[in-house]
Amino acid sequence: MLTWADMSITLDQVTKRYHGQPVVNDVSLEVPEGEFFVLLGPSGSGKSTLLRSIAGLSGIDHGQIALHGQDVTQMGARDRGVGFVFQNYALFRHMTVGENIEFALRVRRMKTAERRARRAELLRLVALEGMDDRLPSQLSGGQQQRVAVARALAHKPQVLLLDEPFGALDAKIRDELRSTIRVVQRELGVTTVLVTHDQEEAFALADRIGVMNLGRLLEVGQPQELYARPATRFVATFLGAANLLLAQQGPDAIRFGSTPVDAAARNPVAPGREHEVVTVMRPEEVEIAATREALGSNYIARATVEELLFTGAMERLRLRLFDDPDAARLVGSADATQRIEATRSQPEQRAFPLQVGDTVALGARRLHVLPTPLSSFVACAATQAEADAIAANPLLDALATRMKTRVAVHLLDEGVQQRAPAAGVAAIASGPGAGALAASLLRRGAHEVLVLPPGAALPRQICIQWMGDGVRHATLAVAASLLRHLPAEAICYAVAPEARRDQRSAAMRALLDARSEAKAAHGLEVRTELLSGSGPAALLAQLSTLEAPMLVLGVTRIEDISGAFATLVNGAPAVPVLVVYRGAA
Amino acid sequence: MRGQRDPSVIPGFGITLGFTTFFLCAIVLLPLTALVMRSASMDWARFVHVITDPRALASYRLSFGASLVAATINLVFGFIIAWTLVRYRFPGRRFVDAIIDMPFALPTAVSGIALAAVFAGNGLIGQYLEPLGIKVAYTPLGITVALTLIGLPFVVRTVQPALQELPRDVEEAAEILGASPRYAFIRVILPAVLPALLTGFTLAFARGVGEYGSVIFIAGNIPLKTEITPQLIIIRLEEYDYAAAAALGCVMLIISFFMLFMINLLQVWGRRRLVAGRN
Repeated sequence: MLTWADMSITLDQVTKRYHGQPVVNDVSLEVPEGEFFVLLGPSGSGKSTLLRSIAGLSGIDHGQIALHGQDVTQMGARDRGVGFVFQNYALFRHMTVGENIEFALRVRRMKTAERRARRAELLRLVALEGMDDRLPSQLSGGQQQRVAVARALAHKPQVLLLDEPFGALDAKIRDELRSTIRVVQRELGVTTVLVTHDQEEAFALADRIGVMNLGRLLEVGQPQELYARPATRFVATFLGAANLLLAQQGPDAIRFGSTPVDAAARNPVAPGREHEVVTVMRPEEVEIAATREALGSNYIARATVEELLFTGAMERLRLRLFDDPDAARLVGSADATQRIEATRSQPEQRAFPLQVGDTVALGARRLHVLPTPLSSFVACAATQAEADAIAANPLLDALATRMKTRVAVHLLDEGVQQRAPAAGVAAIASGPGAGALAASLLRRGAHEVLVLPPGAALPRQICIQWMGDGVRHATLAVAASLLRHLPAEAICYAVAPEARRDQRSAAMRALLDARSEAKAAHGLEVRTELLSGSGPAALLAQLSTLEAPMLVLGVTRIEDISGAFATLVNGAPAVPVLVVYRGAA
Repeated sequence: MRGQRDPSVIPGFGITLGFTTFFLCAIVLLPLTALVMRSASMDWARFVHVITDPRALASYRLSFGASLVAATINLVFGFIIAWTLVRYRFPGRRFVDAIIDMPFALPTAVSGIALAAVFAGNGLIGQYLEPLGIKVAYTPLGITVALTLIGLPFVVRTVQPALQELPRDVEEAAEILGASPRYAFIRVILPAVLPALLTGFTLAFARGVGEYGSVIFIAGNIPLKTEITPQLIIIRLEEYDYAAAAALGCVMLIISFFMLFMINLLQVWGRRRLVAGRN
């Protein structure tokens, strides 16, 4: 159970659906007393819906919301007593500024003298003294929003919610109002949640930021922390500019091709195996020099300057990497428009002036390795046409687009024992023989195999099961990686016979362990379900009851993909399966 | 004022004002003046006699009374209909929206005949009301029904845009600030749409006073009971008593003008609170 007492706002597995599609998906969050929390996300990420749910303006389908330890899930907006500021002010246009501010006090039948005093205090707080008798239509946009803030604070709410409050204002007014809100928040110590799509605004205001995408709360942390060490590709690219580079991670070092580099973060890797990882390099961490020897930091690649933009304090550059398998490559580099972005300060510009067309050596002052196990996809088939068909599969295409990664093609030669693709998720088409192909790919070094039925749609449910504890961690990590990019529900399954009490309780414990691991390690809320029966048959029966499932299946022995799972992989029923294999060390 | 810019693409304050004055004179004031002149051809005693005839007095009461009642009914139900059309999405909404305008398009005589057919003692609805002792056709009630039908679109069509402009979040703001739905309605929604409601009411009322076609079929036109003033005017005209008809017309004109003027004043007062200071 959560300790609700110290928390101002507690969200527990909040889910909200529109027409069956989750717009807020299993969000859990705690905001301590007095914190300024910013919910950041692109439009349509569910952040406003979540805010409205906290206020009680829209109901939720699942989960719990508590304010100051009191469960308010079933309570209407009127009784929650929060302050809310709308994007378009929502002032009462027929009332004066004073009447607007006093509205909540009038409703509460406060005495006139007290009301007047409170109103004067609030007007001073938002720097609008003497404006009492103006009508909203006589004020500028910024002033109207100040009135809206004062009105929201009139009844001394303990929680203030702001829904894109600066959206309709121009840049200068926005800055002013931003600092006003920060000052007011500090002075009153009111717990505040602000929703925005502007990362600069989030950095300027937040004690902590929560980044949302596709209804999920992806990451929560302090601004500096999230900027320097994002866990996901989405957060890395949404919070400021980021260059995403593919690297190989071995047991004790990471390298670009044959170029070794130091990185700020390391992932634990199965011993003896190399793993493809994505690294983040911020534009300001790119060092540019004439030659490799002149670099003060780690060399990563050679590049040509393609674009130079003077923006005042900084110079912005776009550079094209040399096509060199032994140096750094961009994630999604199949797309020829991708460039390295770099910024340089004035002293750097003076020390080494550059022109378009110059060839330079690039160094990375700081690299951050994303702890995400899915880096890229490789469509594997016997012929080019088949491989292209796999690459064009709607599910794979959607995944690659959303994960900002590429789909490479790898041709398999029948009969000849060929090596598996060097890195990435091997994608194959389901059908007769797919089970055997998946097994042979895993045997030859692949970590993950994605089996795609033709025309697979985006899944609504990600079903997770693993055979053997050794692969649980990897399975959850892969599932979490998928779920950050898909608006789907996560369900962990375990199977045990109805009659066997001991097996059932052990399976239940395993599920609960997995649930807390998913929450702790990946910030992911999963549902758990214990199925009755035995073996794969029970899981398959369950899959057939779901609308659009996808299975993430962890195995420790390649032989596990046999029997009923082989039928599934071979295309009956037509469910996409992502096999995660971690052999015993 | 010196240096004042033309406020719009149509040039010249002088020309536009001149045009406005001329147009109003030619189309509105001139015929009205002729009406007054016509009635002035009578001597004063006869004028007073004509306009205070018990039959005339009864017809004023009926005309203005029924119009007021009908406009009031429309005020309430027109608001509810407008609210439903603006706030909810339901199958057939566009169809309902189109039906609202029917009284505009229908020749009034047609609606009159239709109503009479429905509400007559043996009509579609009348046959069920009759046994309950409710007579609609050929009573003041029938007249009110006809005027309600005629006036409905005026209220709906004026209130609809006002409601559309009223953002949903204003209601939500009231709710979050602790207002009960009743309080929010009275203090927030109603004041915002009041000017539109008043305009709709005025239009419906004005239309009701002037209505003739739809009423005569259902009214029965029994002197002192179900005879509206326009009907009385027609009767006078048919008697070739043009002066008497004009005198009755004058009375209607004065009462109507007075009432419309009052409502307009009320509106100006209300609107000033809403849009004051907007340049």
